[in-house]
Amino acid sequence: MSSLTRRHFLTTTTGAGLAGVLATGIPPVRGQQREISYLCWNNFAPASDKKLAEIGQRFTKDTGIKIKIDHINAEQQPAKYASEVQTQAGHDLVEMRMHFPWLYEPQLIDVSDIVADLEKKYGKAISSAQETARVKGTWRAVPQYHAMFVATYREDLFKKASLKIPETWEDLYVAGKELKKMGHPVGIPINQNLDSISTAGPILWSLGGIEVDKDGKTVRINSPQTAELIEWYRKMFRDCMEPEVLSWDNASNNQSIQQGKAGWIHNPVSAYIVAKQMKLPTADTINHHRTPGGPNGRHETDAPRHIGIWKFSKNAEPAKEFIRYLLGRPETYNEYIMSGDAFNLPAYDKLQDHPVLKTDAKYAALKSEGVQYHAYGWPAPPSDKVQLITNSFILPIMLAKAVTGTSTKDAMAWAEGEMKKIIAG
Amino acid sequence: MAIGSVGVVTARARPSLRSRMSELLDRESWLGPIFVSPALVLLLLLVAYPFFMALYFSVSNAFIGRPSSFIGIRNFVRLWESDAFRQTFQNAFVFCGAAVGAKVVLGIALALLLNQQLWFKRMIRGAVLLPWVIPTALSTLGWSWMFNSLYSVVNWTGLALGIMDPPGPNWLGQKYYAMTAVVVVNIWRGLPFFAITLLAGLVAIPKELYEAAEADGAGPIARFWYVTLPLLKGVLGIVVLFSTIFTFSEFNIVYVLTHGGPMNSTHLFATLARQVGLETGRIGEGAAISLYLFPALMIVVWAQLRFVRKQAY
Repeated sequence: MSSLTRRHFLTTTTGAGLAGVLATGIPPVRGQQREISYLCWNNFAPASDKKLAEIGQRFTKDTGIKIKIDHINAEQQPAKYASEVQTQAGHDLVEMRMHFPWLYEPQLIDVSDIVADLEKKYGKAISSAQETARVKGTWRAVPQYHAMFVATYREDLFKKASLKIPETWEDLYVAGKELKKMGHPVGIPINQNLDSISTAGPILWSLGGIEVDKDGKTVRINSPQTAELIEWYRKMFRDCMEPEVLSWDNASNNQSIQQGKAGWIHNPVSAYIVAKQMKLPTADTINHHRTPGGPNGRHETDAPRHIGIWKFSKNAEPAKEFIRYLLGRPETYNEYIMSGDAFNLPAYDKLQDHPVLKTDAKYAALKSEGVQYHAYGWPAPPSDKVQLITNSFILPIMLAKAVTGTSTKDAMAWAEGEMKKIIAG
Repeated sequence: MAIGSVGVVTARARPSLRSRMSELLDRESWLGPIFVSPALVLLLLLVAYPFFMALYFSVSNAFIGRPSSFIGIRNFVRLWESDAFRQTFQNAFVFCGAAVGAKVVLGIALALLLNQQLWFKRMIRGAVLLPWVIPTALSTLGWSWMFNSLYSVVNWTGLALGIMDPPGPNWLGQKYYAMTAVVVVNIWRGLPFFAITLLAGLVAIPKELYEAAEADGAGPIARFWYVTLPLLKGVLGIVVLFSTIFTFSEFNIVYVLTHGGPMNSTHLFATLARQVGLETGRIGEGAAISLYLFPALMIVVWAQLRFVRKQAY
């Protein structure tokens, strides 16, 4: 019997070990690096991204799981996500803007267990988060925070002209006429951008109108309520605004009020935050009020953001651990929300009166009592067809056509035709 | 003795590995494919594979991250029913026709100018290339500020000179102005390509031809018409071919300046394809939008290459 040499032992054990790893595809426990990656947007509140990095480091220290956080611009997200899904490779965690969980539903793991825990602590997720992150009864992403639209106005001009803070969209027309005479028109974009829909949608809802019914199939845009919406926009465009709103992008209304031109805009609180950070003279004169309402109540579009985990991720459990660490620990979630300077607000009911709203007297209106939040296209579920209606900007194009000469009837008929083709396709 | 003879014969029949390799590499039938293969692999991976994937997507109901199936030309037929697509189709021809037409005329003019004896000739030629060298997204951002309703330096200048009525044109908010704006930026961006390539063609024209024409009494216009233009046709054909393809597939300028608005009046195939294919996940339809003009462009390419070949021989 030959004796076992050191060389023979090493050769045999290494070979057998390697064969085992290759056969199972799983490295030995000591070799497994617990590392996850998270892809999210460049937050409009940059301090929030810094805080996220800081929390990430603490997470690594506390759990031993390394986390790599990458940021991209919101505009790049669709292309990047599409490539990750098509190649089945990329990050473990992804930030899901608004309706993204519906688009990527088959590629996202069920995170209902995490949401159930969070809802026990913080109350129900807000309505817009439920509409966008819970797909056909299953949570495909965990609500993280939301940025809401709010009425932003020049308080000094309103006081100077003794104008009433608009409670309804009709009140805004009355105030807007005076503002335009003062050289400070109302700034509501009517162009191919999401801000245009974020204002037109709530006004339509407040009048009782909708684009597509809740069945997601029946187009309801050709209605007396839409005709009312068009008439309201037409008189606003004529008497309260300037034609430049037809060329505006998402940033234009912010710039207009920050530079001292617009007297009233409808936008997230970022217009004020940036003015404050840049120490612009207008920062002292800007204030906010609740979004106006109409006969059918007070509605608002906001931008909920969620965190999802790709199904192709091999680190689903550590990824879930990170979400629990960031959102499930009240002190950490609170710290994260505070860093966003009221741009990122909590996505759960019991946290709506958050301390961040008390950091500046001008954030009081962000409590938005009585305002209902919805995703684009509400009450239709945000299916890909409803999203194509949103992404094709049919609502603002209809309004742009109407304010530039197309009759109300023709504008509505055009919008109805385009929506029906998309729904049928 | 016999053993020794066999050994000698064997040594002669088996040349060394090195000499066999060098003999092999001397043969063109081996060497050619070896040199070409890296480029071929790159072409297959980076051009052929994505192209055939796009072709497949365009005839399928592909949706990001979901299983897809073959649906024939249904995407192409359905697209034509969309008002936004028909508008895009029209925009593409207006945009391309106006931009390429203007670039041909201005490109020839600029090339003739650059061919003159000028002071700081090299510096001027280098400066002319700048719009083509700067990243398009960055330079277009500059243009978007120039056309911005709040800060427009174009309107400010026009008003200061008294050639515009206040508040000046709403460049990106009215459809004809918006189309003009995107065409102008495309011309600004593409002109150096025309000018520099045509300049290379101009430099290659023998001076003797001009001297002979001048001796025959030809003026500047006649010299341009009967000497310059005929000898530039080959280069011009190639430049127009490339520019037509680049202009039809333009994305950055429209995306940054107008996002396709107002009222879809500046959407081009690439921007609409992004909107439908990436933002909404319908990659089948998105690919069909991108490839809609492919057959027509193939015919244009074939016709122009044929024309260029005729000019060459």
